[in-house]
Amino acid sequence: MAESIIKQYYDALGQGKLLGKKCKKCGAYTFPPTTACKKCGSSEQEWVELSGKGKLLFLSHGMAPPPNPRFAEIAPYAYGHICLDEGVFVQAIITGVSIDPDTLKSYYERVPVDVVPDIQEIKGLNVLAFKVA
Amino acid sequence: MGRKLKDSVFILGVGCTRFGNLLETPELKGLSLHEMAAQAAQEAMADAKVDPQEIDAVFVGNVTYPTSLLPATYSQIADWLGIQLKAGVHFDAACSTTNVGITMAAMGIASGVYDKVLVVGLESTLSQPKTLSPYERTTIPTEEMWLWTDHCVGQSYSVPQGYDIFPTYNAFNAMGYCRKYGLSLDELEHGLFEVCRTRRLHGSMNPKAIRQETLEQEAKRMGFDDPWKFWTSRFNPHVAWPSRLNSVVTPADGASAIVVGRREGAASSQPVELQGFGISVMDLPWYDEDPTVMPIDQESFKKAYEMADIKAKDIDYLHTHDCSHIMGICVAELSGYLPQGQGLKYAEEGRLRFDGDRPMSTHGGRHAFGHAWAASAGSDTYEAVKQIRGQADARQIKPFPKTAVIHTHGYAMISTVLVLNGGN
Ligand SMILES: [Zn+2]
Repeated sequence: MAESIIKQYYDALGQGKLLGKKCKKCGAYTFPPTTACKKCGSSEQEWVELSGKGKLLFLSHGMAPPPNPRFAEIAPYAYGHICLDEGVFVQAIITGVSIDPDTLKSYYERVPVDVVPDIQEIKGLNVLAFKVA
Repeated sequence: MGRKLKDSVFILGVGCTRFGNLLETPELKGLSLHEMAAQAAQEAMADAKVDPQEIDAVFVGNVTYPTSLLPATYSQIADWLGIQLKAGVHFDAACSTTNVGITMAAMGIASGVYDKVLVVGLESTLSQPKTLSPYERTTIPTEEMWLWTDHCVGQSYSVPQGYDIFPTYNAFNAMGYCRKYGLSLDELEHGLFEVCRTRRLHGSMNPKAIRQETLEQEAKRMGFDDPWKFWTSRFNPHVAWPSRLNSVVTPADGASAIVVGRREGAASSQPVELQGFGISVMDLPWYDEDPTVMPIDQESFKKAYEMADIKAKDIDYLHTHDCSHIMGICVAELSGYLPQGQGLKYAEEGRLRFDGDRPMSTHGGRHAFGHAWAASAGSDTYEAVKQIRGQADARQIKPFPKTAVIHTHGYAMISTVLVLNGGN
């Protein structure tokens, strides 16, 4: 049986790991992992664990009720645009921050700020979220 | 050297329903999707002076399957239009659908396979068939509509991990714009207020727009003499701080249609040439450290300008996808039609109005004209063709534009640029 790349990614989150792929041809990271290098299209890739460390560049929030019922209990949640240390851009839920305009404005003035993964299990799925370091 | 069509291709006719709600809006109320699509298609064929039997192929687009239950529109819509036994296909490029359809039609024509192609886009974002009724519909909650619309977005990682359109396609871009050009958040707010005022003015002048109330009239209705006070009130909440409800899309039901063909033998009095186009696709994230620039737009504009052999200074009328007002401005600046960092200032100075020197989205755009996913790009083309021909009534641009550029972002994400040219 073939093991889905997607399933391996979510399973690894459950162990606190961020799994991606690194291109054997051009060295670029593809995160989250797919079947081909995001940069050059090569399928010659190897699994790699990312540090998870990154910088939050922008912080806002999503809607409530949310489109995806998985998040009904936590919406409206803070959502951020992040650059990981490996140079990969990710957008994800940010835990532990309030979404009132004053807080969001203070982040707008403070960014970039360091973030680290804060993986959440939400209704049976491991979800990559981040928190301010 | 840019790629070229091997033959000239023209838009011979355009049609568009009013955008509204199939359960409420007088022009649409009670119609089935088949009838709504037929309204647009028959208007386009009449405009092109083309008989249904002259059509060689029907390309029909629809995005949100749960609201249409029409995965194979080609045979059903062809049947309702009297165009049986011709070629047909059902296709989907989300909010770029109809304009991508025009490019597919153009390639079919320039290659010599077809002479006349009918492109149709139809969509309901506000209701779905009631149980399995052939004609009764029932309203859908907004979050349900977004759940289905987000089927267009990364299903392996983005959507399952909390993706939301409003931070990603509004808030981050707005903050990025302020940071890049040194604008304060207050200046951003004023600028977006002015963009909204402009769009709503255009909507108030367009009998086909879903919102025909100006922002000032809405403010008054809600008890505010000062529209700015209304803008900053709880009646215009943040959908994703700092972006407010009146800076985003107004979901709608609607249909649009375009007859594409050759100039030779065309009965249509004012064909408009499809001079060039560019298409570029990309999954999330759509940008890196600068959320005001999407690489797909750089690509699609470059390809379209090369094929059409034009430069930004040649453009007389521009529509950019303005599902998010700030992204609409970012793309207009990327296109070269507006100077970098000046878009909001241009809006405040009235320069983006139909009677300004840089007119944009004179039909009212996604916010005032409304957004019916697969039909919307066709509504943008409809407006551009009407403007070029001098048929835009009260909101006519003067002198009539000759070169019009239409940009759309199809979720998620297909950047599509058409260059249209015509007039005298
Ligand atoms: Zn590579």
